Amino acid sequence: MTRLIDPPLKNLSALMAEMGDLAIQSVVLAIDSYLYDKDTATQVHDISSEISKKYFQVADLTFDIFLRYQPVADDFRLIRSSIEISYGFTRFGRYAYDITQVRSTFGDISECDKSWLIEVSDKVKTMIKDAVMYFAELDIRKALTMQENEDYVDKLYRERLPMLINSENTKCALAEALVLRYLERLADHAMFMSDAINYIVTGKHKLTKQFMVKNVIDRDFTQF
Amino acid sequence: MMSSVQKRAEYRSLFKHNVKGRLVVDKIAMGVVLGCVVIAIIPLGSILVEVFKNGLAALSIEFLTQIPGAIGTGTGGIGPAIQGTIIIIGMSSLIGIPIGVMSGIFLSEFGDNRLGRTVRFFNDVFMEFPSIVLGIFAFLTIVLLLGHFSLWAGAFALSLIMFPIVARTTEESLKLVPLTYREAGLALGLRQWVVTFRIVLSAAKNGMITGILLAVARISGETAPLIMTVLGSSQFFAGFDSPMDALPLRIWRLSLLPYDSAQLQGWGAAVVLIIIILTINIGVRYYFATKNSAKGKLFYRIMGGRKQ
Amino acid sequence: MTTVMNVQNESEKQPTDERKYKMIAENVSVYYGGIHTVKNITMKFREKSVTSLIGPSGCGKTTFLRCLNRMHDMTKNARVEGKILLDGEDLYSKDVDPIYHRRKVGMVFQKPNPFPTMSIYDNVAAGLRLNGVRDKKILDEIVEDSLRMAYLWDEVKHDLKKPAMELSGGQQQRVCIARALAIQPEVLLMDEPASALDPIATQKIEETITELAKEFTIIIVTHNMQQAVRVSDYTAFMYLGDLVEFNETKKIFTQPQNELTAKYVQGQFG
Repeated sequence: MTRLIDPPLKNLSALMAEMGDLAIQSVVLAIDSYLYDKDTATQVHDISSEISKKYFQVADLTFDIFLRYQPVADDFRLIRSSIEISYGFTRFGRYAYDITQVRSTFGDISECDKSWLIEVSDKVKTMIKDAVMYFAELDIRKALTMQENEDYVDKLYRERLPMLINSENTKCALAEALVLRYLERLADHAMFMSDAINYIVTGKHKLTKQFMVKNVIDRDFTQF
Repeated sequence: MMSSVQKRAEYRSLFKHNVKGRLVVDKIAMGVVLGCVVIAIIPLGSILVEVFKNGLAALSIEFLTQIPGAIGTGTGGIGPAIQGTIIIIGMSSLIGIPIGVMSGIFLSEFGDNRLGRTVRFFNDVFMEFPSIVLGIFAFLTIVLLLGHFSLWAGAFALSLIMFPIVARTTEESLKLVPLTYREAGLALGLRQWVVTFRIVLSAAKNGMITGILLAVARISGETAPLIMTVLGSSQFFAGFDSPMDALPLRIWRLSLLPYDSAQLQGWGAAVVLIIIILTINIGVRYYFATKNSAKGKLFYRIMGGRKQ
Repeated sequence: MTTVMNVQNESEKQPTDERKYKMIAENVSVYYGGIHTVKNITMKFREKSVTSLIGPSGCGKTTFLRCLNRMHDMTKNARVEGKILLDGEDLYSKDVDPIYHRRKVGMVFQKPNPFPTMSIYDNVAAGLRLNGVRDKKILDEIVEDSLRMAYLWDEVKHDLKKPAMELSGGQQQRVCIARALAIQPEVLLMDEPASALDPIATQKIEETITELAKEFTIIIVTHNMQQAVRVSDYTAFMYLGDLVEFNETKKIFTQPQNELTAKYVQGQFG
């Protein structure tokens, strides 16, 4: 027997899935636009608007569910986190758009050295995809991999920025700095999303290292 | 495979549709019921009319206060009979009501076991005993024991008639009080007997009073037991140990005499008896109706109306 | 609406509950004619708190509640085992009189049951008068205090002699609450106190419960989970006579530890 709350929950999942796919699309397109000099600005802009539209739909839907059904336990955590996660998706779209704008604003950047960005952007792409998968499958192991990736991105960001200060080509330096900054923000928001998903799975927001070791690495994590 | 709409329509068509016919049947049934009520009331009405018609003429101060005069003269009155009836109703009630109420309480509160079932059975059987048998029993025990007819014997006999009725109606009234009031009482830390007497009993008051009044009305008219116990007399109250007159006895004796004046006095005595019973009924109900704070609907409450 | 920023700053450490235990039920079992209906339940109730018992129909929560004030003494075929400790004293022990116990643990029933032949004043004073308190001044005082605690004083103070049955359902239930409070209990048991009432009356009863919890220990059986969430500090979930989970209300309804609990509160069975 389906509960009254089940159809709207299904609706919510569908909306979130669509937002996730759109977010991945926008980020991949944006990063490629910078690295391989492709003009995808309008495309990414449209996708980002689409994500924003869906965000408002999700907001309406979640509050409607709270009003009508007063969800508890798993339902409650899912819906509560959905608000934060959908906001995260809008951020992804927004930063993706910002990255395409770098190319539009700065014009010809084909001569700039993009070697530093390749690996970072790969990790970020993976993080975005992982975030969407984590929400879909609620497999807590993803939280671990995402944490590792985020640490890498942070480390690289802090290493590369000082180098750019002493660079000769201001245009390239600025462009790269901006893109690095956006990539770092993307990674950050992916981690916020991971925390929100942790709440759905475990009821806790931040998973401490000890918690991870005890429950994920050493033990049978299928209890979640 | 029919659609659900069609299925519903089919089911609906199965119902009988002769609404007009059913309304007529309804009216006929109502008419039959009312007719039965009228048939039941007619004898009651006609008895009252007859008694009052024939007996009112006999009423006078002399009639109500004097001892009977010489037989056949039409003088004197039924003073001792009235006194006797009132005394004997009082005595029987004093014995019968407490015993009956206690038995009723026992049966209702503690009677859900074999002992209770046995007592209840004997109670019901006892209720059906012919009153003359009870009179003979009282004769054999009290009259022969004491050696003379007396009010004690009469009260004893009448209380035997009274208490099964009181016990039964008390038990039924108490059972009607919902369990939740007993639980509420217990939850306040009250002892079982306090709950029963102070809370449950007052909630069952109406039903119990009806039962008691029924029993009183019943014994007021009993003649057979009185014949063998108080015997009757022509004097006013001479002590609990002596025979005494009572209205049913007097009516019986008067009705057997061939004189018209005696017949008239008999009717008069019947009127007096009916008035006494009515007075007791209305008086008791009036007392309890005014005891509660509600001022309105006094007439309604005396007639036994229940609060919604 | 929580923003992404807040999530990161939330600390996981919650303040511990410093309240002492007022009542402890230890290994309580109830047998109805041989059938084990309440199975070996141990629960601890803190002073000045509200604990709610939830669970599907027939899970034993009302039966268990009635053990706490020895109401089963009057039920045929019922046998109770275990201990109920009130401030450390076992109320089921041989030397304790159940009457004494019931004066310390009051009860309010599901359907309002003010004594039908009594006025409001007499109802509230019933427990006192019939327990031997005669002094009119003291009775007046306690009746007023109890009616105030039950949030009914202002509505009825002008006519305390009115028959209690003439009040509305919600008011009648509050008379019953006042009546239970008048005997100065230490613990108040409530068996679905608002289930027979309309929404406004329910709200008033819930407000009353929350106020009373500042002074009394309250244990309430309820079918309405939203009510449990609104009103109680601790919640116990029972199923088929067993205590499945007992925890702070917030935890039970956001992160239940037991899968059965999660299923029940989300409406996934029964």
